[in-house]
Amino acid sequence: MAMFDLSGKHALVTGAMGPLQRALAVGLAEAGADVSLTTATTAMAEEVQANSILNECWSIGRRGEALTLSIADEGAVEAAVAGLEERIGPISILVNASHAVVVKPFVEMVSEEELGLFSRNVESVLVPTRVVGKRMLERGQGRVVNVASILGDRGVPNCAVFSATQGAIVGFTKALGIEWIRQGVTVNALGVGFYEDVPGPQQDPALREILEKYIPVRRLGQAADLQGALVYLVSDEAGFIDSEVVVVDGAISVHA
Amino acid sequence: MAIRDQFDLSGKTAIITGAGSNLGREMALAMAEAGADIVGTGRRPEPLEETGELVRAKGRRYLARPTDVTDSLAVDALMAEAVVEFGRIDILVNNAGGGSAGHGKTLPEHTDEDWYAGIDANLSSAFFCARAIVPHFIEQGGGRIINITSGWGFRGGRNQFMYPIAKAGVISLTKCLAMTYARDGVRVSCIAPGAFPHELGPETEQRGAMQAAGRFGRMEELGPLSVFLASDASEYLTGETILIDGGAIAAGVTPAGLVPSLD
Repeated sequence: MAMFDLSGKHALVTGAMGPLQRALAVGLAEAGADVSLTTATTAMAEEVQANSILNECWSIGRRGEALTLSIADEGAVEAAVAGLEERIGPISILVNASHAVVVKPFVEMVSEEELGLFSRNVESVLVPTRVVGKRMLERGQGRVVNVASILGDRGVPNCAVFSATQGAIVGFTKALGIEWIRQGVTVNALGVGFYEDVPGPQQDPALREILEKYIPVRRLGQAADLQGALVYLVSDEAGFIDSEVVVVDGAISVHA
Repeated sequence: MAIRDQFDLSGKTAIITGAGSNLGREMALAMAEAGADIVGTGRRPEPLEETGELVRAKGRRYLARPTDVTDSLAVDALMAEAVVEFGRIDILVNNAGGGSAGHGKTLPEHTDEDWYAGIDANLSSAFFCARAIVPHFIEQGGGRIINITSGWGFRGGRNQFMYPIAKAGVISLTKCLAMTYARDGVRVSCIAPGAFPHELGPETEQRGAMQAAGRFGRMEELGPLSVFLASDASEYLTGETILIDGGAIAAGVTPAGLVPSLD
């Protein structure tokens, strides 16, 4: 089958330090893409994680690099992207998968925490999208996929600021898709429900037990569940899907 | 299983309503390309056979069954026959429908016949087909239903009293089927195409320039989405409606092509 082949494309996955990002990167590599990764901080554990993801992509036979940089620092991202494109090739797929969660009553949140969350969840999407997007627009072709929680338009207690950051990504996705599609660049989002091994309220064992019954598919998501939707959205076959949030959540958001 | 293999439909059989033309034919061809055998239904036999020739050319089995899908007894018979013929059915695509009944009529002009004909063709048909096949899906441990709605399912239109309402019903049917049968391995999703013109020409191109994407959708752009939703690659995706409209609904706050500027 010729559909959904990503051979010869170079994908950049940001925030590559968890199982979700691993599955996204490996899915792209399996579909044929070279994959580069960024991690947000210089914490040793995160670099080790990113390199382990990179190794898995390499073992499939792809090229790519893992870089540690401050993803909201435009100059640093410019330099990193220029280097990656020179060494590996033009980036035609950008997956913004940087993701941080704070679970806390809203009245206990302080401004620095909020700005930090907006920096790690929103600015971390805007900056690489602008930097890589400029290059995509010049080339007249590109796919941007933002990873956003379904809490971007739903709510659970103690996650209001997190929800605000995810809603920001959803609004950004819809608007930017309209701004860029006439120039060949689509912008979509993957709507993520409650997944295994991902920080969030589902890591509370009591809540998790309830969720496993409440989710219509009757299990939490596994990171690999996102691979199909991602590969579809970034493929050449998806050129008319734009400004859309493809929700992969076992139908939990269909509940009243 | 490597991700691209998860899109493979080899060994699966899909029933596609309205398979004789346009988007129905495109989905039949894309699914056949991905390995599926096809049962094509529609009212007229000739276009169904034309689709069949194209499907068989890809090396797949094809059965044409002209059926009025607004007739629930005929639908029950179709599903039973398809199961016997192919041994199993894995995928149902509820694509039949159309927007002509009552189109553009004012509310007082809109007849009972317009209402019932339109709702039956677009909504009752999907309900009848799902009702007929779901017990088979449960028995075999799962299956896929893909409903086809329209961008109109999200919008209102002046003097549109059938099509947007029927198509919103299809979105709701998708959610309720998904909720009910998720635990049985049945996945139900919905595709909402934007404007996909049936015929292309210079005038079409001009009108397409007024779309958010600067062009209409191309028929061949719809098939791959149906393959994704019919395949194991979408195992955790159910109850969802996916717009494939070049951003048309997201752009719906202003006339298409309007670019705000402070200069």
